[in-house]
This record gives sequence, structure tokens and C-alpha cells, in this order.
Amino acid sequence: METADLSHHISRRFNEDLERVRSKVLAMGGFVEQQLQKAITALTEGDSTLGESVALGDYQVNNMEVSIDEECSRILATRAPAAGDLRVIVAIIKTITDLERIGDEGEKIGYIASRLATMERPADKYREIKHLGRIVSEMVHDALDAFARMDAESALRVARQDRLVDEEYEAIQRQSITFMMEDPRTIRRALDVMWVVRSLERIGDHAKNISEYVIYMVYGKDVRHTSLDDVERELRERAAPAGVPRSTGP
Amino acid sequence: MRTQLQPATQAWWFAAGRLLGTIAAGLIIGALIGSVWGGLACALAVHLAWQLVVLFRVEWWVRHRSFADPPDIGGVWGQIISQIVRLHRRKRFHKQRFVQLVRQLQSSTAALPNGVVILNPQREIVWFNRMAGRLLDLRRAVDLGLRIENLLREPEFTRYLRLQDYSNPVIVRRASREDCYLSLQIVPYGDGQQLLLADDVSRQMRLEAVRRDFVANASHELRSPLTVICGYLETLSQDPALDRDLAGPVAEMRRQAERMTGIIHDLLELSRLEQPGDPVGGEPVDVAALLALLRKDVLARPVHPRELRVRIDSDAALIGEESEIHSAFSNLVDNAAKYTPAEGSIEMRWWVDEDGGHFSVTDTGIGIPSEHIPRLTERFYRVDPGRSRATGGSGLGLAIVKHVLQRHGAELEVRSAIGKGSTFSCHFPPQRVQAIRTATAV
Repeated sequence: METADLSHHISRRFNEDLERVRSKVLAMGGFVEQQLQKAITALTEGDSTLGESVALGDYQVNNMEVSIDEECSRILATRAPAAGDLRVIVAIIKTITDLERIGDEGEKIGYIASRLATMERPADKYREIKHLGRIVSEMVHDALDAFARMDAESALRVARQDRLVDEEYEAIQRQSITFMMEDPRTIRRALDVMWVVRSLERIGDHAKNISEYVIYMVYGKDVRHTSLDDVERELRERAAPAGVPRSTGP
Repeated sequence: MRTQLQPATQAWWFAAGRLLGTIAAGLIIGALIGSVWGGLACALAVHLAWQLVVLFRVEWWVRHRSFADPPDIGGVWGQIISQIVRLHRRKRFHKQRFVQLVRQLQSSTAALPNGVVILNPQREIVWFNRMAGRLLDLRRAVDLGLRIENLLREPEFTRYLRLQDYSNPVIVRRASREDCYLSLQIVPYGDGQQLLLADDVSRQMRLEAVRRDFVANASHELRSPLTVICGYLETLSQDPALDRDLAGPVAEMRRQAERMTGIIHDLLELSRLEQPGDPVGGEPVDVAALLALLRKDVLARPVHPRELRVRIDSDAALIGEESEIHSAFSNLVDNAAKYTPAEGSIEMRWWVDEDGGHFSVTDTGIGIPSEHIPRLTERFYRVDPGRSRATGGSGLGLAIVKHVLQRHGAELEVRSAIGKGSTFSCHFPPQRVQAIRTATAV
């Protein structure tokens, strides 16, 4: 057990509990990541079976959320953690909510993908969605990596990416409006596409939330609703924080 | 005769001599100044102080570990110092050799084209080589001590770790990169230590996909012209104006064209089954009804074995994809019917026990020589080329059976004796069996 700050507990069992629940969160994250990628592939490749399988797989995400939630409540009740450990538990409880939402958005995309597969595909084969989808999946992946490594700096980088997603969202929206004005027959499809883009944008927000929880977990500072530049300045000042959970090698 | 004294013994004699000398000097000085005890005490005090100085120098030397530069002290202390120096040299020599060995090992493992990660019993990363860092996106120094499953979060890998069946590698599609497939395998060793081997199999997976697509497309393209040929042959064979000499050849052409259609159908089916993917879920399949259907199919053949028994020992349903299960079972039953003479018998059986559900087909046919059994499920594998073509199989039946069973987590078992017959059994895991709760069985 080398995760430095998690190892100082007198009770080894507590350690194991914390580590196990962290692993469970990350396993849930891995599943959600895959769901998201399958949903995007289903849409861009026009694979209705894949889209349906994503929509049907969402119940597993919900089950994982419930089970992790229960475990966190149990740890809170029986171990009464303090300081860094309490922050870890609080961050986990928040993270799984966001992961579950990402799963829900993935389910929506999968459902829409299976419906869009039966319609005529646009000439660009949803290239913009593919691009946005890649950015968003990367954000989710990096946020989870930052969570696993307790790496506040990477988390900050992920949070910054959200601006890019918002810009892409705007661009696709404008493009869709142009399509709809040009040819009203595409309105139905364009509306569905807008739903997907909206979902992807929401997933970007959830990934940003997760990375904010990572910063909270590491530095004990709530950085929600503050400008990222302020956060960065503060993190630089506290470059060598004392007594915070930080994964370091032996 | 005097023997050469050992340096250590010499040193001891010397020390004893010096002590005696000190005592003697003390006694003489004591006698001179008129107080024997006072002189003796003074001499001993000087001796003790000298010893303390030497002891301090030795201790200082050991504390500062300046082994390369030993203090110049004679006597017993000098002996001790030279012993320490010798021990230290030997230790350093062994350490150097050891470090060299470890470095050699590490550099050779680091240069391996495969990714290698050493994990401790908690599956925390202890060490990894360069390739592993590249394949798994591990960061040197930062990621040591982290649990591997926290960084490799792909659900396939999580499942692999949970099942703890490390006999085969698991193929994982890397989430962070496009079209990157990794083959991961855990190798336990030593005292709970584990080795994670990672290999990039994207190229193989791509080639495999290309091959699969080619077979599927080729079969699909062949099907349309074949339909046309079959259509004309059918019309021709029913044409009363057809020259009688041609009737035989046309009938044969029609038979062969139909066989070809069968082969293409099987090829398409096989390429569909070969698509990688999650194990199929499926619905409960009523095995009793399915077997009744298969029995009818056999009885509809122009030549069929006289005795055809169906034994249903359980009314439990099998959970799976009905069309695939039907295709697998019917292939097995077809084979049995094909290789069993009219006076033989076939038995189909479905039963459930604690190991799961089992389906078997037993025939009293010609049997299969044992050396052929392991290769039966290969595509187009023929035990007896001449005979098999005559019976008109596609040569793909058992390959289809194998793939269907794989997708359902089941196994195929073949037992056979030449001249006595064969038994083909399918063993399904318990989670594939669903007991029927409603009491509708009459």
C-alpha cells in the first residue's frame, strides 16, 4: 500500500475499504466510458443494434451507483472518517452521481442512434458529432485518470477543456440551423442531432464536475463556480500542500 | 621450535604485555613516590584513558562510514578494524555484482517488445517497462503504487480480474485511443506477485476483420448469381420437352447448385457468428419443443434411421438466442442422421444437473477415428473426403456449432468409437438454464 496518505490509518481494514470503493468508482467510470464510446460509434456508423445495446446496458450503471452509494454510507457510519478521508468519500458520492448522469446521456445517445440508423444519413456522416464525441470521451477519460492518480493539475486541464466543448456545441448548433433553413425535410433529423450534441455537451460538463471534485479531494478547496485562472494561481501557490491525499511512488 | 604466531594472537599477546607493563610501571612509580596503590591507580587510569581515545576513534570511523580510510591503530583494535574493512569490501563486491545483475535484467525486460508490469498482491504497480508505459499510458514515477485496475478501467479487463481465470489473455479495446486493441494477460508468480503482459494486437484484429468482411461479402455476392442459376435449372428440370439424355445432368446440376447455396448460407452464418462481441443474452428457449421440431426434420428425410428417440429429463428452458441454438442443435442432429444407417438409432437428450444444462445426440453410426476428433470443428475439415461430399454437407456445420456454443459460454464434447457410433454433447453453464416456474407441463 503505497498511496501515501491513505496508508496512515491505524486500521488496515479502513484502508482496504477506501481503496476498494475507489476501485469500484473507477470500474464504474470505465463502464460508462465504454457506453459513451459505443453510443457515439453507433451513431456515426449507423449501427442500430449497438445503439440499442447501449440503451439497454444503462441499468448496470444505475446498479453500480446504488452499490457504491451504500458502501459510502456504510463507511461514513462505521468509520466516521475525517479530513482527507472524509473528502475522498464526499468526492466519491458526488462523482458517482455525475457518472450516472453521463450514463443516462449515453443511453439517450444510444437510443437516438438506433432511431437515426433507419433514416438517411447526411453527407458528412456526422463528422462534427464524431469530433465532439472524441473530445468529450477524452475529457471523461482524463478526468477519471486524474481521479485515479489524485492529480489536480491534470484535473484542471480537463476543466479547461470544457470551453472547447461549448464552442463546438455552438458551431454545430449554427450549422444545424442552416441545414434546417435550407431544407425543411431535414428538420426531424437535425432535431435529433441537436439532442445528441446537447447530451455530449452535458457530458462535458459532468466531466468538468468530476475533475473539480478531484481538485477538492486533493487540496480541500471547493473550486466550483470560480474562475479557473484563480484556481490555477492558488494551486501554484500551494504547490507543496501538506497532509493531502496524493499518490506518490515509493 | 617456535611457530609463526597469527597476527591476531600476536596482537592479543601484545595487549596483555602492555597491560602488564602498565601495571609494572605503576608499581615502580608507586614504590618511588611511596604509595603503591596510588601509583597503580594512576597507571590504570592512563591506560583506560588511552583505550577510551582508541575506542572513540574507532566508533567515529564506523559512524562516518569512511571505510576507504581506516584509522592507523595497532593492536587488537587494529585487528577489528581490518576485519570490518574486509567484510565491507566483500559486501560491496557482492552488492555491485547484484546491482549489475538486476540492472542487466531490468534493461533486458525494458527492451522487450511486449509490455511488462510487475504487480504486488494488491495489484499495485511495482515496476513497468518502457513498452508497458507506452501501451497502457502509464507515467513513470507517478503511477507506481497505483492499482492497475484504477488506470486500466476497460470493463473487459475488470471482468477478467473479477473472474480470476488467467489461463487465457483478454482482448481489450483501449478506450483512450481509436482502434487500438490490447491483449492483456496476468501471470501469477512467486508469493502472490503478478506479472501483467500487454501486447498490441490492433493489426491482427484489423486483419481478422478484413478477412471476415471478405468472406461475408464474397458469399453475399455469390448468392445472387446462384439464385438465377438455380431458378433456370428448376425450370429446365421440369420442362417436358427436355432431351432425355440431358435430364440426368440437369438434375445433378440442380443438386450441386443447391448444395452450393447451402455452403454459402453456412458461410454467411459463420461470418455473422464470428463477429466479436459480448456473449449473447437471449430469451428462454423451450428445448422440448425444439427437439420435437428437429425430430420431425429427420423423419422428413428420404432415408432416415429407423429408431429416433427424444428424451427430455428436465422441463427447464435454455437461455440463449433461439435461432442460433436451433442452428447448432440441428447441425448436430443432421450429422447424426447423415452418418447413421437406416437400421441404426439416434437418441437426443436434454437434462439438467448442478453443472448446468446438457444436450446430447447419440447415434449408432460409423463413428469417428479418435485422431480426427480434435480437428472436427475446423472449417471444411473432412474425416473421409470422398464420403462427406457424397452426403452433401457444407463442411461448416460443426464450425457453426462451435461458435454458437462459444457465444453461449458452452462447450462441445465428442466421444466416438469406430463402428459403434458417436455422442456429441453440449454443456451449458448453470446461468444459462432457467427452471420453468409455471406448472404448465402436462
